[in-house]
Amino acid sequence: MSLPNLEVIAGSLASGFLLGGSLSLIALGLSISLGVMRLVNLAHGELLVCGAYLSYFLLNYLGFDPILGLLIVGALVAVVALPFHRLLIAPLAGKGMEAPMMTMFGFSIILQNLLLLSFSADTRTIEASYATQALELGPVTVPKIYLIGFVVSVALVWCVHMVISRTSFGRELRASSADPGAAATLGVDVRRVHAITFSMGAACAAMGGVLIGTAFSFTPSTGATYLLISFAIVVLGGVGNIFGTLVAGIAMGVLQSIGAVILGDGYRDLVGLILFLLALALRPGGIVSGRA
Amino acid sequence: MLPATYEPTNDPEITDMINKNAIKILVPTLLMALAVLSQGFSDYTLEIGFRLLVMITLAEAWNLLAGYGGLVSLGTASFVGIGAYALTGLINKAQFPLYLAIPFAGLAAALLALSVSRAVFRLRGLYFTVGTLALAEALRMFMVNYAGFGGASGLFLAVDPPSLYVLFCIALALMAFTTLMMSIATASRFSILLRAVRDDEDAAAQIGVKAFRIKLIAFILASFLMGMAGALQGLKVGTVEPYGMFGIQWTVNVLSIVIIGGQGLRWGPVVGAFFVITLGELLADYPALHLAITGLILIVVIRFAPKGLVGLVSNMTASRQGVAK
Repeated sequence: MSLPNLEVIAGSLASGFLLGGSLSLIALGLSISLGVMRLVNLAHGELLVCGAYLSYFLLNYLGFDPILGLLIVGALVAVVALPFHRLLIAPLAGKGMEAPMMTMFGFSIILQNLLLLSFSADTRTIEASYATQALELGPVTVPKIYLIGFVVSVALVWCVHMVISRTSFGRELRASSADPGAAATLGVDVRRVHAITFSMGAACAAMGGVLIGTAFSFTPSTGATYLLISFAIVVLGGVGNIFGTLVAGIAMGVLQSIGAVILGDGYRDLVGLILFLLALALRPGGIVSGRA
Repeated sequence: MLPATYEPTNDPEITDMINKNAIKILVPTLLMALAVLSQGFSDYTLEIGFRLLVMITLAEAWNLLAGYGGLVSLGTASFVGIGAYALTGLINKAQFPLYLAIPFAGLAAALLALSVSRAVFRLRGLYFTVGTLALAEALRMFMVNYAGFGGASGLFLAVDPPSLYVLFCIALALMAFTTLMMSIATASRFSILLRAVRDDEDAAAQIGVKAFRIKLIAFILASFLMGMAGALQGLKVGTVEPYGMFGIQWTVNVLSIVIIGGQGLRWGPVVGAFFVITLGELLADYPALHLAITGLILIVVIRFAPKGLVGLVSNMTASRQGVAK
């Protein structure tokens, strides 16, 4: 196998960098659920796929542009997710981490198979007009949608950061995360904070799903891969560390692209998973640094 | 770390004692009778029986990890798959006789467990769960993409698979072996150490329990059993391919059997296997619906019967006895 020329390598590195932005957004959703609620949301990948389907149908039937409709998808999924927190997660409060995690695993199986029953296993792509256009940045050529996805993702990650660090809700969120008991004593409605956090996490997944669905393709069973890659990013970046998540997401995007260039495109996701296992094995001191 | 409802509230000592006597006399007799009787079974009965035995074996192994050790694995498929691929390789390339290939396939799975233990035990509880899921996905993707093991289309077994009756008897023997191993594991000092690590790893470590070693032994033993079950499945189908042998359905089925039957309870896997296999047969023509319904049952059981069907029944009998007094 001969190595591809430099321009191709540079192009795929740039693509990886830009895609990493979307991965950060997806991982951030997982990270806040984990950080604030101690919830391992194993349905995160399916929420992502739901977002992609929603955007797909909004585009094909109502003509909504996926990027302009991104916030609509995020809001819709957040609103739909809210009662599910009360139904699935809230009753298991105080029963440890395993019960909610397995509940979300059950939920992910249900979602995945309902999607399969409703929309078949067909591979779909959200076909935005600009999805196939190329963008030349000096010597490097990247798909335009990658740059759009990157900018949107980073903007959304920044929004989440602002909500958490600057608003009164963010203060309640940080308090609930640090010490739920003390926060409750001081009048914070921890359950409400958790419900909104769950919604925010779901919205991040769904919006990430729109970006993934526009840049790549998706099927009902796409979710598991993105769940695991998100986990890898959370491990590398640190739970609750928004800046760390962004950096780790971009690093993951770049490393996956390097893997795809060297080994072939089929190995893109495998590289992500192996990095995750390596991160688990080698990162000393654990993931939940500082508080556990 | 673990929820109150998951603690051994059903007085494990007493259940262990009852089970010990039952297993000593009843189970071997029943198994022998079954092996003799099954000669007259129809193909359909043998088919279902085989599946039931393989699933009970897998579920027993999973129960050792999750129920007794608090190690919830989503990586069942990796060990089933490795077992099946190892069996095919040993028979095709090294001309292993069948009865040697199955335990060696189990050893291959145990080696896999050993080699990833550093990664999956590095952090506690939930990271084991996610780590094992990552392992299963990574192995499946690797097998699909890497041509050396037949890629997506898989490998064919070079010898003819034995008859259904022989397969059934091997499965019976495997389940008997598993039951024996589980009886030893759950009735010994090891089980107490394992549960101590599950309930409070720090406290256990404080009083001198080597937590890592205890968890590793459980993981290796469970993987060995899972590998043999996978080898048997591979032997039966005669073709091993990544989507079937490394598929998430193994993980989902085994986990739902144990959770529905009763985690950490000796009879949980058996009861759960009957329930899940029956459900599977009823919905055999609707695989997606079957999985969705399984997911729903899982959520309901976790919420309302954290000790599964066996726990539910023993609670009911206990409360009835209480009323009678």
